[in-house]
Amino acid sequence: MELRFYIIRRALILIPTFLGLTVLMFILFSLIPEQLLIAPYLSIHQTLPRAYVVHQATILLGLNLPLPLRYFKYVWNMFHGNLGVMNLPGYPSSVAQAIAISFPNTLQLAIFSTILAVVIAIPLGTYIGARPNSVADQTGRIFSLSGYAMPAFWLGLLLQIGLGRNVIPGNPVGIFPIQGSVPDVAVAPPWFNNGFTYPTHIPIIDALIHQDWSFAYGAFMHLVLPTLTLTYGILAGVLRFVRAGMVDSARQEFVKTARAKGVPEREVIKKHIRKNALIPTITVMGLLLAGLLGGVVVVEEVFDYPGIGLLSVLSATTYQVYGVIGTTLVFGIILMVANLIVDVLYALVDPRIRY
Amino acid sequence: MAETTVFKGRAARAEVRVRKRHPFLEDFASTFRAFMSNKIALVGFVIVLIYIGFTIADLTYPYYLGVHNINNINSFNPGGYAAAIPTPPFVLPPSHLKGAPSWWFWLGTTEFQDPILPIMLAALKVDIVYSFIIVGSGLVIGILLGSISGFLGGYVDEVLMRITDIFFSIPSLVLAIAFIYVLAQRGFSGLDSLVFALIVIWWPTYARLTRGVTLSVKNMKFIEASIASGATRLGIVFKHVIPNVLSPSLVQLSLDLGSIVLILAALDFINLPIISPFVPELGRMIYNGEQYLVSGIWWPVTIPGLFLLLFTVSVNLMGDGLRDVLDPKLRG
Repeated sequence: MELRFYIIRRALILIPTFLGLTVLMFILFSLIPEQLLIAPYLSIHQTLPRAYVVHQATILLGLNLPLPLRYFKYVWNMFHGNLGVMNLPGYPSSVAQAIAISFPNTLQLAIFSTILAVVIAIPLGTYIGARPNSVADQTGRIFSLSGYAMPAFWLGLLLQIGLGRNVIPGNPVGIFPIQGSVPDVAVAPPWFNNGFTYPTHIPIIDALIHQDWSFAYGAFMHLVLPTLTLTYGILAGVLRFVRAGMVDSARQEFVKTARAKGVPEREVIKKHIRKNALIPTITVMGLLLAGLLGGVVVVEEVFDYPGIGLLSVLSATTYQVYGVIGTTLVFGIILMVANLIVDVLYALVDPRIRY
Repeated sequence: MAETTVFKGRAARAEVRVRKRHPFLEDFASTFRAFMSNKIALVGFVIVLIYIGFTIADLTYPYYLGVHNINNINSFNPGGYAAAIPTPPFVLPPSHLKGAPSWWFWLGTTEFQDPILPIMLAALKVDIVYSFIIVGSGLVIGILLGSISGFLGGYVDEVLMRITDIFFSIPSLVLAIAFIYVLAQRGFSGLDSLVFALIVIWWPTYARLTRGVTLSVKNMKFIEASIASGATRLGIVFKHVIPNVLSPSLVQLSLDLGSIVLILAALDFINLPIISPFVPELGRMIYNGEQYLVSGIWWPVTIPGLFLLLFTVSVNLMGDGLRDVLDPKLRG
């Protein structure tokens, strides 16, 4: 099958899952008492007459309709970018806008962490996978297990103590800021407002666009500790699969053939074993992304990093119903799309998948 | 030609006794022997047992460490036993090390002079008991639904798998936050909503695993035999399928105990207002100690964290060893 058709078919499978996701979100909404669904609208429209706001919100949410029609109303609102309103200081009152502002920060954090994890895990996994049951292998095993077992928030706090700026006075390695995603600047540039940068909301890229090198450097330094924390958690999964893949492909016949015809051991490991070991590793990237997005919530909370995870936590701690469910929906959509990308990548590297 | 031996008397009875041992027990014994030969996994298993022992001790006699009395500076003494344990002569440590680990308070005290060790053990009890409840309920629901759906196939299977797909498409921590929030609005108390939410989130893992194994077991000869002998479909599922598909779920369960404790701690660390701050919990202890880190008070954060890490690492070592024994695919 051609890759094009495979991608289309794989994307079509998203539709039922997405509908299921909306149904789940709608069930969550319908479990919440109606007054609590109307209250956020009352709190942001305090100057309007109360009865008028209640009436408008009832119509907007379809609270006067039977449940199935309310579901269609919900999906309709969602496709029109209307995820509800909330009242969080520093964020716009529209949940969709707040998510749009926070999303690039999370994306940046996730991409940096994934790259770092892959860059560390593949050489390390190759090394220990080529020497099963050696001391290095056992060490790597303990390392990857402790990555699974590590409470991310605790690791974040430890990194803040050890490497955080101004935490322990006189600490020579304490150079990394422990809070936020942008440097403290005396005079805020015109493209930096309310803690968010414009136009892309990714601080580093925005600073590069506006050629503010010191700002870009500061934003990068803000990214270091959250990235390290997040990476340690997901590194373990990649490392384990690279190792298992290496051990598995080292047993194959073509490896024997390569050795028999006199290919040097380095080449065998690099060209024959590793290349085949990396194919199954791509499949676990989906699981890894799920772990990553779960970790994002905690890590962003610890480092006060303004992404969707922090938005979700802030919404939950301040009772912003639309914020909580809106961010959950967005996390679901991100994970679905990420899984699609992983599957397509897998089909790209391994044509046998496209059956 | 092999000679056939005819046993008589005691030997015959012994023969019968050996044969009568249930095959499940036989399997269990050999699995246990294989597990015991893995030293690292054994260490993990022993540490987990010690933790569970602490939990059981705390459940059976919660006053033995004076946890009920945490606002009292003399928390060694459980109420009513004041005469039995001599009061330590309390000497104030230097102000910059107030509450640091000392002879009287081995792991130090919190900012309110509450000793960390008993609070930590009480917190451990909460974490372990809840994680067992959550994982156990999830396992029962998941195995029932997974084996039934895998065995029946068709429409039931399709619907159930789509439902699990939806649960898998949201990170569990995020979904837990949303569920806890919503359930709390319906009048569930904080921890009830937490446990209920995590059960709702956790069963799909087991359902999917069980279904996968059921599909392979379904076409085996003994299932055909029981169908031919006229057993009902539900009867086959309970009597033949479920005992044969348990092991992957058990491996997953042993690994999940750690993940659930981590999620519980993370949810409490996030400080959702719905969860009561008065329930001792390891994540809550770390959250409480966080603000004092800057002034050099490291023990309220590091010690509960290390305690939690030791538990999760041991659980993972144990689960890893169990997987090596029961599911040799990843052994390598």
